[in-house]
Amino acid sequence: MALTPAGLLAQAAEAASQSTVSIPSYGSFPAPGSRVAIWVAAQVHLFFAAFVLGVPMFAVVAEAIGIFGNDSKYDKLAKEFTRLLLVSYSATAIWGAILSFGLITLYPGLWNYLARIFAPSMWVYVGLFFFESFTLYLYYYGWERWHDGRAKLMHWSLGILLNVWGTAVMFIANSWLTFMMSPPAEVMPDTAPEMVRFWSAFANATWMPINVHRMIANVVFGGAIVGAYAAYRFLTSKTDEERAHYDWMGYVGNMIAIGALIVLPFAGYYLGREIYEYNQQMGITMMGGFMSWAWIIQAFLIGVLFLAGNYYLWVGMGRIPGAERYMPYTKWMLVVLVLGVIVWATPHTMIANRDELAAMGGTHHPFLGVLGVMSAKNTAVNLMILTTFLSFLLYRRANKRTVVPWARTGTMIQTAIFVLAAAIVLFYGVYGYFVTAIVRIGFSVYQVLAVLAAIGGVVTLDIMIMRGAESYGAIRWGQMPPRSQYALFILAVTFTWLMGLMGFVRSGIRQHWHIWEVMRDTSEFAATPPLGYAAQVISWCVVIFLGLVGFIFWVGSLAEKPIMSHPRQDSLPSTDSRLASAPTGN
Amino acid sequence: MWQTNLKILLVVLGTLGLYTWVASAIPQVASEVPEELTFSDDVTADDLVMAGEQLFTGAGTCTACHGTGTRAPNLLTDHAGEGTIGQRCGTRVSGLDCKAYLQTSLAEPAAFVVEGFAEMVFQARAFSDAQIWSLVAFMQSQGGEVTVTSDDMERADDAAATSAPAEPSGGSPVAASQTTDARVLLQENLCLGCHAIDGAGPPLGPNFDDIGGARTADQIRRGILDPNVDAAPGFDAMLGMMPATFGQSLSAIQLEAIVTFLAARK
Repeated sequence: MALTPAGLLAQAAEAASQSTVSIPSYGSFPAPGSRVAIWVAAQVHLFFAAFVLGVPMFAVVAEAIGIFGNDSKYDKLAKEFTRLLLVSYSATAIWGAILSFGLITLYPGLWNYLARIFAPSMWVYVGLFFFESFTLYLYYYGWERWHDGRAKLMHWSLGILLNVWGTAVMFIANSWLTFMMSPPAEVMPDTAPEMVRFWSAFANATWMPINVHRMIANVVFGGAIVGAYAAYRFLTSKTDEERAHYDWMGYVGNMIAIGALIVLPFAGYYLGREIYEYNQQMGITMMGGFMSWAWIIQAFLIGVLFLAGNYYLWVGMGRIPGAERYMPYTKWMLVVLVLGVIVWATPHTMIANRDELAAMGGTHHPFLGVLGVMSAKNTAVNLMILTTFLSFLLYRRANKRTVVPWARTGTMIQTAIFVLAAAIVLFYGVYGYFVTAIVRIGFSVYQVLAVLAAIGGVVTLDIMIMRGAESYGAIRWGQMPPRSQYALFILAVTFTWLMGLMGFVRSGIRQHWHIWEVMRDTSEFAATPPLGYAAQVISWCVVIFLGLVGFIFWVGSLAEKPIMSHPRQDSLPSTDSRLASAPTGN
Repeated sequence: MWQTNLKILLVVLGTLGLYTWVASAIPQVASEVPEELTFSDDVTADDLVMAGEQLFTGAGTCTACHGTGTRAPNLLTDHAGEGTIGQRCGTRVSGLDCKAYLQTSLAEPAAFVVEGFAEMVFQARAFSDAQIWSLVAFMQSQGGEVTVTSDDMERADDAAATSAPAEPSGGSPVAASQTTDARVLLQENLCLGCHAIDGAGPPLGPNFDDIGGARTADQIRRGILDPNVDAAPGFDAMLGMMPATFGQSLSAIQLEAIVTFLAARK
């Protein structure tokens, strides 16, 4: 847009006369009120959006493994992922429309203000959404037609393109919501929207951290929902072949979810740091203010995720010949995880009134205060990550017999790496009690680096040690106790609820501002509710989402049933052939 | 089949119920909207203290830092053997009584930083004068004598109305007039509504990022005090836009702080 001084003056004069920042207007919504209506619409839309953005990422990876690894079962898996995507897509759009209409009718002042700044990106959003939809249709419905050779590569390219459109759509929507959190410093309450520079508002301080965090979280979420879907299909399977397929699918979903979850805290750290950099008061409100208890709830939920994810793996070892030799270790891993959760969920600096301070005998609880500090928490969570990685490693090695002559030495080196990493984590954890806070914060970096280096080193060694490994026997896919599948449901519910909780935290730290320190919320719902109230709303959102997902998947399965009853021999490998190819496929 | 579905339903609802119960069982803290306060001439110390306490423990979110003992000095309990805030506020800075010390600390968080702590994170501009004075009264009440009266608020109102410079007694407007931090001043005086800084902002006036290279300190000072005499190169069309009131609204120290800051940006 060409800007001339005269044009700018005219714009300024017009904008000043049109400024709508100070007095937003509101519509009304019958019980439970406008805020909850918008909250539910936004949250359910976000659940679906996360699913339809996360699933294409691993669908396209699974298809690539199928193409380049020449393994048709991955291709089938990718197609099944995409089918789930297809049926969820319209629900995403419907809830997006509900959210938009809700904003227009219930929060017209805010909507008008945002639209005046972001109108160009809204049109681009619609265009990209259009492209994304049609790319998805081509990707799914062209699966069988473009099945071989160069056509298959072109089909895979469509999958990549689908991810590009989806990610771009998410980035645009993220700019709108992050602007509400972190508007540029030059935007003041009396700045007319037309005077706000578009790119400055678009690429605001928390935009990229949210983009990164959401991309990873979407993969976690998609993996968990796919895992739950597979668990349901497993439990209701009528044939061994179906059961074997969905057992394997559940395993892949869980591996994706837990694997990406391990990376997610680093993205969260990046986001938190940017929030502090943008506005320290907002950061303190988030971590130590009225939101501080949310992190205790988060620790509890992540503890459940670690426990359920590991439990699923440990139970799964029962179907792997050769895994018996690792089973005695699981109880010790369980001890580490439980202790880790207890430490991580210990409250530290909470808002306390004078009576509570007196009751504690000081600013910290005499016993819990020692465990509640970051030194202890960082140590706990890093040891939990190491333990979960060990579970994956044992699972991966369970049915393999090494043949390389230096295997024993290699395993001892791997053990030494584990011990060294744990020792570094513990050392800095204890040392952290004897240094100042600013030094202590730096220790968390050493702890994380020790864990990441250990994961990288051990995996590299493991690939080399397992070269040419013999099998103790094929994994008995499908021979999984039903209780393991309920762990997958718990994972999905917990991920979904956790996403709702973190959404509440992110949005709630704006407190009584629609746009932080620019546009006040002057409605009757301006106060931010306590966690108990938020928990009820989040639970309702999860119930609505899972109910709809269940219905959508059931509808999708209606069309598929005849195929499953009469499987095509070339597209559905027999149990025997799957077993033959499965041993090293984990 | 229905048994499986029932089990799944129970697991899902049970998990949701557990999380909802845990979140409801912990202490429930909401973030209230700071109430607009208006006090009559005969407002009592108790009224002020009560309003201040509500703000301190509620919407002001003061307890997020004051009370933990790690982020900020304890105010309601002893700190460093000096007693509660009401007991120690009068002796913190030589020549400043308790009321002036507390009010200045709120208006200018960088003015008197307690040793061992960072500058207070407090957005004074988000609070009204009445709210700030009620906070001062509440803190005085913690072991000291409440000396805040309606006169303090009237003085603040008068000062705000005339945009007068700060008074040493502490009865000045809160957010805009006392600080000598150039960046804060640029923001409070809405300079950044027209001038870009740090690569961001509208291009209605000369960019602050390199203004020191193009203009001398004298030229910058003259440009602030009498902005409509000479236009900066390339901004002839903007002549007349910038208010010519900063000579009255800024103190000499504040003006020099801005001039020094801008002249150094080359």
